[in-house]
Amino acid sequence: MLRLRLQWPRLFFLTFLGFHSCRFNGVPAEERLHWRSFLVKLGADNLKHAKNEELFVASHKSVYIVYTVLGDICLYVVGKDEYDELALAEAIFVITGSIKDICKKPPTERTFLDKYGKICLTLDEIVWKGILENTDKERIKRLVRLKPPTEF
Amino acid sequence: MADSSGTTLMDLITADPGPASSASGSTANATPSSATASAAASQSPSVPMTTTSSSSLGKTILGEKKSKRATLMQIQNETISAAKAALQPMKTNIMPQKQKKKPVSYSQLARSIHELAATSDQKSSQKQLVHHVFPKLAVYNSVDPSLAPSLLMLNQQCEDRTVLRYVYYYLARILSDNGAQGLSTGGGIPTPNWDALADIDAVGGVTRADVVPRIIEQLSAEASNVDTEFHARRLQALKALTYAPSSNSDILARLYEIVFGILDKVADTPQKRKKGVFGTKGGDKESIIRSNLQYGALSALRRLPLDPGNPVFLHRAVQGVSFADPIAVRHALEIISELAMKDPYAVAMALGKVVVPGGALQDVLHLHDVLARVALARLCHTVSRARALDERPDIKSQFNSLLYQLLLDPSERVCFEAVLCILGKYDSTERTEERAAGWYRLTREMLKLPENDSKSSKDKSQKTRRPQPLIKLVMRRLESSFRSFSRPVLHAAARVVQEMGKSRAAAFSVGLTDIDEGVSINEFADDDFNENPYADGARKASSMSGSTGSKETIASLLASLMEVVRTTVACECVYVRAMVIKALIWMQLPYESFDELESIITSELSDPAWPAALLNDILLTLHARFKATPDMAVTLLEIARIFATKVPGKIDADVLQLLWKTCLVGAGPNGKHTALEAVTIVLDLPPPQPGSPSGVTPVDRVSASDPKSALALQKLVQAAVWFLGENANYAASEYAWESATPPGTALMMLDADKMVAAASSRNPTLAGALTRLQRCAFSGSWEVRIVAAQALTTMAIRSGEPYRLQIYEFLNALAQGGVQSQLSEMHLSNGEDQGASGTGLGVLISPMIKVLDEMYRAQDELIKDIRNHDNTNKEWTDDELKKLYETNEKLLDIVSLFCYVPRAKYLPLGPISAKLIDVYRTKHNITASTGLSDPAVIATGISDLVYESKPAPAESDGLDDDLVNAWAANLGDDGLMGKSAPAMSRVNEFLAGMGTDAPDVDEENIVSRPSVGYDDMWAKTLLESSELEEEDARSSGSSSPDSIGSVETSISSHFGGMNYPSLFSSKPTSYGTSQTSERSGGNRYGSSSSIYEGASSPIREEPPSYASSVMQRHDSFENPMAAPESSSFESEDESRRNTSGNPQFGSALYDFTAGGDDELSLTSGEEVEIEYEVDGWFYVKKKRPGRDGKLAGLVPVLYVKPR
Repeated sequence: MLRLRLQWPRLFFLTFLGFHSCRFNGVPAEERLHWRSFLVKLGADNLKHAKNEELFVASHKSVYIVYTVLGDICLYVVGKDEYDELALAEAIFVITGSIKDICKKPPTERTFLDKYGKICLTLDEIVWKGILENTDKERIKRLVRLKPPTEF
Repeated sequence: MADSSGTTLMDLITADPGPASSASGSTANATPSSATASAAASQSPSVPMTTTSSSSLGKTILGEKKSKRATLMQIQNETISAAKAALQPMKTNIMPQKQKKKPVSYSQLARSIHELAATSDQKSSQKQLVHHVFPKLAVYNSVDPSLAPSLLMLNQQCEDRTVLRYVYYYLARILSDNGAQGLSTGGGIPTPNWDALADIDAVGGVTRADVVPRIIEQLSAEASNVDTEFHARRLQALKALTYAPSSNSDILARLYEIVFGILDKVADTPQKRKKGVFGTKGGDKESIIRSNLQYGALSALRRLPLDPGNPVFLHRAVQGVSFADPIAVRHALEIISELAMKDPYAVAMALGKVVVPGGALQDVLHLHDVLARVALARLCHTVSRARALDERPDIKSQFNSLLYQLLLDPSERVCFEAVLCILGKYDSTERTEERAAGWYRLTREMLKLPENDSKSSKDKSQKTRRPQPLIKLVMRRLESSFRSFSRPVLHAAARVVQEMGKSRAAAFSVGLTDIDEGVSINEFADDDFNENPYADGARKASSMSGSTGSKETIASLLASLMEVVRTTVACECVYVRAMVIKALIWMQLPYESFDELESIITSELSDPAWPAALLNDILLTLHARFKATPDMAVTLLEIARIFATKVPGKIDADVLQLLWKTCLVGAGPNGKHTALEAVTIVLDLPPPQPGSPSGVTPVDRVSASDPKSALALQKLVQAAVWFLGENANYAASEYAWESATPPGTALMMLDADKMVAAASSRNPTLAGALTRLQRCAFSGSWEVRIVAAQALTTMAIRSGEPYRLQIYEFLNALAQGGVQSQLSEMHLSNGEDQGASGTGLGVLISPMIKVLDEMYRAQDELIKDIRNHDNTNKEWTDDELKKLYETNEKLLDIVSLFCYVPRAKYLPLGPISAKLIDVYRTKHNITASTGLSDPAVIATGISDLVYESKPAPAESDGLDDDLVNAWAANLGDDGLMGKSAPAMSRVNEFLAGMGTDAPDVDEENIVSRPSVGYDDMWAKTLLESSELEEEDARSSGSSSPDSIGSVETSISSHFGGMNYPSLFSSKPTSYGTSQTSERSGGNRYGSSSSIYEGASSPIREEPPSYASSVMQRHDSFENPMAAPESSSFESEDESRRNTSGNPQFGSALYDFTAGGDDELSLTSGEEVEIEYEVDGWFYVKKKRPGRDGKLAGLVPVLYVKPR
């Protein structure tokens, strides 16, 4: 099974300092392993018989995790502060919607890989430096095609 | 299969150095069949992009063998040659391999980019790039800088939009790879050549340092390009620029310059935002381009560091609120709300125009962007609570009303955020007053909709223009949310309820005056209540409809809400359930019955699906709850007990212990017994078998099936045993140095059964703890037995008689295996070798017994000496006193090795020695507290530990963090999570804040618990010192004057011989017990010999040392008895008894009929002479025989009123 993982634990101080060197924004390297095993276990426990796009929620202390299954893909979104369960649910909704648009249907591994480049660009438009950016599908599509966000 | 490959892939993904684009999820991909291959490949320079065959595996291994340098050189060479060849490279490079389903290595991709960049004007190259090279490159997480020149070339020359989009994407990734750790920040699918490049930086390859300035240069130029046709690229360039490392101030300054440059051009034009045109087509081209640029600039600004002091920054952000682009508005609001945290006054002033009704902020209410409204809620909250704006209530109320209107928001996210803001929840810091005020606001205030609010929302309940109580809105909203099927919504709703509970608890603890929840909130009869849009037909809760028209109170609203919350426990997601339980715990009030909560938790815990981390989280919630309302200590302990009995294997013993400790301290004098009981129940695990002496045995047997949980259970039991040993004395308020019973009294009662009975009648708490520990000591596993023996020793040293004697006896039996043989039929062997000496604890116990032996022997010596001096009327010589003092100090040193005792007060020789030691001290100017000046003490090093109470708490903090966080180690995110987690911070806060006040702060010595070593005992002593020093202080404040006084008298009487009988008669009765200690020993010996003779087999089983001490005592009494003065004691003939020896009289209050041979019947009003007191009984003598014809015997203390 293929797993794609997105993270934006958006940290206040990150916005201040403005540097994020990695996808695990603000998550120190030594914690990543733990996060990984945590999420893998979470998925293994719960996603076995999950329906497509059925949302799952988890939390660890003040960090929220919303995850789901889309075709062959498990999607985790991790957030904190204003990105609580509901905001993450919205984000994951946008992401799954975009992926479905790109792959035309719930992606299999094959189609997902074929469209991988485009998916990356899409995600780049949805999440920008750990902050949720665009949520409107049309707008995302335009931006991925290097068109201005609002057409004239 | 899925699992194994999944894990592999996760390995690949997370190892990945997460480049720049936080957005682009890194992906590792492989078909399930190639899981192992991809795992191998992750180490090698080539990564399987598609199905990997075994041949490809071989290939990757080959590739691995090449040195990095060689690989690099190969790339460079091939790149150059290929670029020269220029025209026919691509097909051969990519396509064939893809069709053959062979992996594409990073070096191949890199080469292709270089080649294709050279021919970017050709359609085929563009296609190749877009469809094959760039997508596959995305798999690698760091893009090495050597690609940058080619990318920049593409950027300049290529016209194809898709290619350009990818170019911006990769340029951003190169920019964001943080120089210093560009490589090390992650792992992932390593970009192989990156390593090589990093290595040869010095040699002169293309490095990041080289390319970053070039990239920034080029992107900045593009971002400043004012050509309207170019503006889409301009936005992307701006976006890529924000990934540049902001640690570099030059780059940062430049970025600000660009962003503000754009805003200068586009922001100042007066904006006319038409309703409903957000993000849609329409409008003239110029304004749309402007709006796009506004969006780009504000989005970039949002990613830049805040500049709180900069008025331009604030000004632009405030302008942004009026922009046409919804996302620009959101970013503007987010920036402003962050600025407002720093400087609410400036923000409020700057927002002056837009906040008024009809202003831009009002429009945001209808903005179709959830996060924008969330930001608005935060902004309103910050401004309306700002102290800096106290003089401007008008502004505050404007923001406040805006915040209240957000309660009606159709999005749950916004509504909940507004509720949380109203409740006073700041980000992660907790302020009780703010919380309490939040609860007050929620329950008291009304939502008044502004007049001009015509089409504000689809919410039907707004049809009524009446003001609505906030609480009602919130309750309705929450109830409807709880009927949702979406787990995130349920989770969020439960979280909101939890926050409500916190604020409510805060309100109660602060003691807000009119907190009365019985008040009706429904003064205006709300006819439209039936139109509640959330109560849809069949699913409408009866509680809701029932409340219509009737008088509603906050209590009734809450009750119906809690009903809904409880039903949510049925959700199949454990995280939702956990949140619900936390909410229930928080909503629980101390005086409410918690049966329901208890049963919910009990049934929940039987579900094996609960992960351990979550259970511990709930335990921490209990902590936090306790901290908010200390009254709930007993309730919370009950709940914690459920955890201990139901899921001992899952919860962390340290966390539980922490909870026990804090609750024990917080339970107050009345709850202490209950609290300790709750703890000791753990020892009866599982299942609880009250009354069964082998209650502990099943622990080993039951859990042996699952080694892991058996281990955890073991640890838990150890923790409980240790805890009991450390704290039983505290809980029972029984300390040797305040003991009411002198050692002599207990010695008389050598009958074990009577002793136990007497002990438990006097102090059931301690006796219960003792019994449990004894059980553990012989029937637990060896770890438990060791800890139990240690705990017993601690208690023996700290407790007064008869407990000490009881334990002493038990330990002796334990060492010899006597009890073991008796009890072995009672419990089945747990399969362990019990060891040669009975329980196998002989080696361990013998030093402990030795200490007690020493103490008893020294006591006997002392008694003998005193007796001798008394009889011969000799003064104590200085040498004798010195010897005594030295013995005292020596014993103190030994005792301190085992557990902490307050040196200044602890008298290993018994209370009678106090006077003598005092005399010696006064003579030699040794102050009681300066035991530490004694060289012997310093040599042991204990003085440092014991007397420095201050360092201990400091150290404890450090330790606490480790411990508390230790359980989270399986997630390991202590740094990040620990800081922000409310429960965690609360526990830490609790420990830090209360550490010095609470009598018990030795949670931290959990670490030293299971150890046998002396080092650990010392550490324990160190850590405990603050607790007991505290204890010490307390006792010297209140109860100690009594005991000291009594001790003094009794000693002086001994010291001065029998010449001062008046001292006794002058004593108030309450001191009778201790003052008569010595002499009554003689009396007893003579008069109540039946007790002694009744001493049964346990005594016979005593080790020789003990027996001999008894014998010594016996001997020592022989002489006094021969003396004329003492002869009175040996006879029961009252005529010979002269009153000088025992001057205390009393009169019988009631009739009493003797129940035994040694008891004496009384008639009320009868005059008696009180000889001594034994555990609630007076031994009295009468002038003339009473009804039963006896002259002397025992009567209950309460029946006699001493004069």
